[in-house]
Amino acid sequence: MAKVERDIRPTPTDGYPSPTSTIQAQTENILRNRIPSTSTLPSDSTKNDGTLQRNSHLQFLLRNLVQGFPARYVSQDASQPWLIFWTLQGFSVLGVGLDEQTKRRAIDTLLALQHPDGGFCGGPGQFPHLLPTYAAVSALAIVGKPGENGGWDQIDRKKCYDFFMSLKQPDGSFLVSHDAEVDVRGIYCLLTVATMLNMLTPELLEGTPEFIASCQTYEGGFGSASFPGWAIRDKDDIEPGEPLLDPSAPRPPLGEAHGGYTFCATASWIYLQPYLRTYYDSSSAAAAPKINTKSLLRWATHMQGLEIELGGFKGRTNKLVDGCYSWWVGGCVGLVEGLLGFGHSNPLHSESQSKGEDEGMKGEDKENEEWDDVDDSLFNRKALQEYILYAGQHPAGGLVDKPPKVADSYHTLYCLSGLSAAQHRVTPSTAQKIVLQSLWKDEEVPDDETEKKLQALRKEAFTSSLSWLEEEGTEKYVGGSQNRLNATHPLFNLTVTHSEGIMAHFYGRQIPSRASRSTKK
Amino acid sequence: MPRNSDDEDRKLYSERPEWADVTPVPQYQGLNPIAPIFYTPQYKDATEYFRGVISTGEKSERVLELTEAIIRMNPAHYTAWQYRYQTLIALKSPLDLELKLMDGIAIQFLKTYQVWHHRRLLLTALHDTPSSSSSQPAALAELAFISRVLMVDSKNYHTWSYRQWLLSYFDDVHLWTGEISFVERLLEEDVRNNSAWHHRFFVVFGRGQQQGEEDRPEVLKRELGYTKDQISLAPNNPSAWNYLRGILEQTKTPFSNLESFVQLYVSSEPPKQDILDLENPAPGESAELPCVAALEFLADIHEQAGADRVQKAIEIWKSLGDKYDTMRKKYWEYRIREALASS
Repeated sequence: MAKVERDIRPTPTDGYPSPTSTIQAQTENILRNRIPSTSTLPSDSTKNDGTLQRNSHLQFLLRNLVQGFPARYVSQDASQPWLIFWTLQGFSVLGVGLDEQTKRRAIDTLLALQHPDGGFCGGPGQFPHLLPTYAAVSALAIVGKPGENGGWDQIDRKKCYDFFMSLKQPDGSFLVSHDAEVDVRGIYCLLTVATMLNMLTPELLEGTPEFIASCQTYEGGFGSASFPGWAIRDKDDIEPGEPLLDPSAPRPPLGEAHGGYTFCATASWIYLQPYLRTYYDSSSAAAAPKINTKSLLRWATHMQGLEIELGGFKGRTNKLVDGCYSWWVGGCVGLVEGLLGFGHSNPLHSESQSKGEDEGMKGEDKENEEWDDVDDSLFNRKALQEYILYAGQHPAGGLVDKPPKVADSYHTLYCLSGLSAAQHRVTPSTAQKIVLQSLWKDEEVPDDETEKKLQALRKEAFTSSLSWLEEEGTEKYVGGSQNRLNATHPLFNLTVTHSEGIMAHFYGRQIPSRASRSTKK
Repeated sequence: MPRNSDDEDRKLYSERPEWADVTPVPQYQGLNPIAPIFYTPQYKDATEYFRGVISTGEKSERVLELTEAIIRMNPAHYTAWQYRYQTLIALKSPLDLELKLMDGIAIQFLKTYQVWHHRRLLLTALHDTPSSSSSQPAALAELAFISRVLMVDSKNYHTWSYRQWLLSYFDDVHLWTGEISFVERLLEEDVRNNSAWHHRFFVVFGRGQQQGEEDRPEVLKRELGYTKDQISLAPNNPSAWNYLRGILEQTKTPFSNLESFVQLYVSSEPPKQDILDLENPAPGESAELPCVAALEFLADIHEQAGADRVQKAIEIWKSLGDKYDTMRKKYWEYRIREALASS
């Protein structure tokens, strides 16, 4: 077998070491040993052969779900719905369904986390919070169904909406919980839930696009929040009709560009497009806020590490690669591609490419050629898969930040989701959007202008977010199709099937089945 | 931490007579939860009493003790933090003492959101209290505390964003005044510390302008000079190049102003310098050239110039994709497509 030439030069230090370059070099020394072509001993036991250890990861997830978590997970006691979501979505990505009894227990546990005043809590008796609300609703999208005890109709949407509104800040942001912080993670969580459960209103979204835009840093990625104080005008100084926020005042981002916040801000920005399209027309006085997509793309692609780091992603400039950023940043590149209008525009694919998954690793030269032919995504999908397969898997099951760390629930899901995002291309499909729009064709359009706009907003939210579909023939599996994971929705991190299921219910639409579904069970 | 040994010796709340009037509330009732956590007896006991306290709405001194105990076992317990804060306010507890108590907890649990947000609430409350004669000393002391923490963990995200909030919220010239030299000290220790570079941008440009810095051309000149010097020390430092791009875009300065500087970093050999050019510091002998970030920068200059120079940009992008930065081949090919489409 011809060896692929790998360029495994270390990150240059220019003969000028610093703490950053020292720890970077240590990490590269660990990672380079995971690169298959540098193996001098073919039977080196610390390496794996690039096979996804599906069974041991399933065992890891199953153990957590059924037996529970050891005491060190006390740190996650206020994140209980997250533990459930990470585990359930791990199963979904691995293509494993759950029995009715397990689903039943999951639904009951999740509903015990709903707060009497609306929203979900990190654990029973805790306060409601945006992050657990997202995790609980997403988990219910996986295991729930309509009807009595189905989990979906037991979500108190009215109170949830009121809870969201009670967190709203004058600068368009939201507290994550009462007496808690503002950041874009919370906004992603809120917008995901409000989109899935059909709760969007202009009152909820007012000022939020401007807030998101203000969090973009000079590097192109997004920080955690922005400082509102200089933009908020004294109420006494405002002329009637003037906005509370001075559009010319600085609202600088707090904290540097970061992978987690950048994913959340970019996804939020996409969620907000229906609102921007419906409520910001060119004649209105308020100019639509903008983000710099070009610098965002540059930043996100530059987070992918070098060959010596196996092409894993970093979360910040000059920090170390970490498996979880496979999703947060690798997945974010996919979101940016959507913003740039990449999609199902080019349906041409040859027969040999569509059956490429069966050819596996037959010939590496040939394989490389095929990658180049078929792949128009803007990050290195092949390298990211290699990082997760070679460096991200723990021999005892579960996935990790980087070797030699231990596996945990969080990294297991976000490594798997990142691997899925590198295998499949899920992009907005104009054809699918038209199909979805037709579900409104017999709908009465309200006379009232306010109602009309609200209906337009919700229709646009439904059709836009569910237009993301896998592009046929663009899937690519390092290690062959035995490593195939289910595609996951780039905004929701749920399978397309689960995303459609819960949204069809809450928007009262019947989505016609497609000839070829992106999530084959 | 000395406190930990106390924790082990401490009696369970269920064994303490002074808590006998509180009814502990178990977590899940009548339900066999999925994915449960195996708690230590101490944690289970404390959180059951905490749920009991929440259910009656009690706000008292012993609630402060209880929430502190929970926070020490699990600093991510946001409800314990929120309830603690509400209790402090209800009791009109001295918040400066609370801040002192929190110093140790902050150092111990640096990476927890809530640790930093709690301080922010305290500082805000201290600021808003009319009785506190001036909040400036508290803010100055807080800035010093943050500096100490950053010496331990120089890239801690929450600590940095908290520092930026503190500066903006109090917005006092005495607070801002030492920030540039603080950043420079950190960058002297680690020129690749991106958090420090971001902080510099925040300090110089975030507020609009600082007092005494009304002369913006002079500020830009200072920033360009500083950044070029840092690049010459360690050319392959994306933090410094991103900063350079950032200040040019912020001030709407064309990239082409930097062309003679960038040219020093794009060939394989360090340039021969007959004359020392302080405006354009050259890479040192150990520099690993060509520098990818400089190539990218030069390509951007070519692209912005337009016309026949776009071809030069395309050649550089090709060389990046094929040779110098192969991981991003797809991105560089995209840049080529975009440039061709718009030219």
